[in-house]
Amino acid sequence: MAKYLVIARSSGMPSTLSPQEVQKVIQKYMSWNANLRKDGRMLHSEKLRAGEGRVLRGQAGKMVVTDGPYVESKEVVGGFWLVEAKSYDEVLGMLSNHPHLDGPGILEVREIEDLSHLG
Amino acid sequence: MAERPEDGPQVDELVEHLFRHSAGQMVSRLARWLGSARLDLAEEAVQDALVRALSTWPFTGVPAEPRGWLFQVARNRAVDLLRRDAFLRSKLDGVRAESESPPLSEPPGALGDDELAMMFMCCHPALPATARVALTLKTVGGFSVKEIAAAFLAEPEAIAQRLVRAKRQIREQAISIEIPSESEIGARLDSVLDVLYLLFNEGYSAHGGPNLTRAELCGEAIRLGEILGGNPATDLPAVHALLALMLLQASRLPARVDETGDLLLLAEQDRHAWDRALIGRGLSHLERAASGDRITAYHVEAAIGATHAVADDEASTDWAAIVRHYDDLLELKPSPVVELNRAIALAKAEGPAAGIEALERIEADPALARYYLLPAALGRLWLEVGDPERAARYYEEALARPTSAPERRFLERQLARCRRPATA
Repeated sequence: MAKYLVIARSSGMPSTLSPQEVQKVIQKYMSWNANLRKDGRMLHSEKLRAGEGRVLRGQAGKMVVTDGPYVESKEVVGGFWLVEAKSYDEVLGMLSNHPHLDGPGILEVREIEDLSHLG
Repeated sequence: MAERPEDGPQVDELVEHLFRHSAGQMVSRLARWLGSARLDLAEEAVQDALVRALSTWPFTGVPAEPRGWLFQVARNRAVDLLRRDAFLRSKLDGVRAESESPPLSEPPGALGDDELAMMFMCCHPALPATARVALTLKTVGGFSVKEIAAAFLAEPEAIAQRLVRAKRQIREQAISIEIPSESEIGARLDSVLDVLYLLFNEGYSAHGGPNLTRAELCGEAIRLGEILGGNPATDLPAVHALLALMLLQASRLPARVDETGDLLLLAEQDRHAWDRALIGRGLSHLERAASGDRITAYHVEAAIGATHAVADDEASTDWAAIVRHYDDLLELKPSPVVELNRAIALAKAEGPAAGIEALERIEADPALARYYLLPAALGRLWLEVGDPERAARYYEEALARPTSAPERRFLERQLARCRRPATA
């Protein structure tokens, strides 16, 4: 089993949803989470604070800090899930019905490299 | 500290309509604190809280107290918006922002004082009747403009306009969010009950149809009625009468359409499918309704519903009692539609000829000119007395009037029966 970081970019839904619709969308996320937890595949998840990132760069040996993320709103990371899967194909299968993709949201998947065999 | 997904209540533990009902409670609570002139601000704060839940709970899981969480976030947001609002106004007017009383930190209580006060504001007699319904659904009901429009087969823009105008009127006339005093509660309550009755009837006529939001109005009307019935200020006979009426009628909803969504006549309904729990609740509210000295139309209509509910089948129903109830109703609320219903009951009590005679007296009433039920009832009775040709003409007439798709299919089925009377 490998570990994968699933990063959710931008919000999944417009802010004009009715209370009833918001609940329905949340329930979809919850049942996706519950399915993974049931199979023991959900390792961790965190929400990130919106609009409070810092971007650091070295410039002539000094650290330069800028506010970030400062690019387009679709780049804003809302949070992430750390899941376990056999392969990229399996992760993509797990994400194929992910509610984040019902709206304008974007998911990014990165495999965490397992270096344990190097000791 | 965020909770992990495995800690909080799971998916199926999120109560049905939790967000909708919480939104109604939160808007009522916040607007009551902020004042009716800042209703928009309360609504904005609540909407922001819902969006925040949407961007948080997928990663943190549902908090242990979802309602408390939502209320806390909405309250904090309201305070922020209020500061911004006060700051802007102090800049514009050059005056110091008034100091605000400290916000309430507890989630809304079980008695529903806030929602009750809000219902009285929404149904204030100074507001146009159509605005009362939309406002009640929007603020206390937690429905969106789009959902209200769907429920009333209206354009969202028209509903939005209606709400904007009503809110302006609320500000200009300083209509407050409060439970009226004992001396004026009677007249104010009538207007609230009218709105709930209208909501219920809209939902009832749409039940089983493709429009789910519309059908949900029945449950919402009952929920709001129960808030009234459960609060000492409005624990009054007329409230219980309306609740009894709604619950008894709602008990028949599961049997009212067949599996294809077609309407069934009372005689065709499987009475085992009637919801016994709702009938029980309805009858107990009818008992509580009997305590006053004032008989309302709701009392009489609930009594009609109860007569049906306690009968084993159509044949053993006490139709004579139902005719007497309709006589009472005609005195309280004379209308051609009540005449029509009385005539149908009379046909059951005394035979189709008596029904036909009563219906022919109101046949030319212009108020019923677009009402398909009148020719449909005549068609049915002529079929019963053995004149299928005449019956067919009436069913054709009924089909020429405005109907919903299930009603149409029902009439077409009846018309087919007229044309092969042997199977009738």
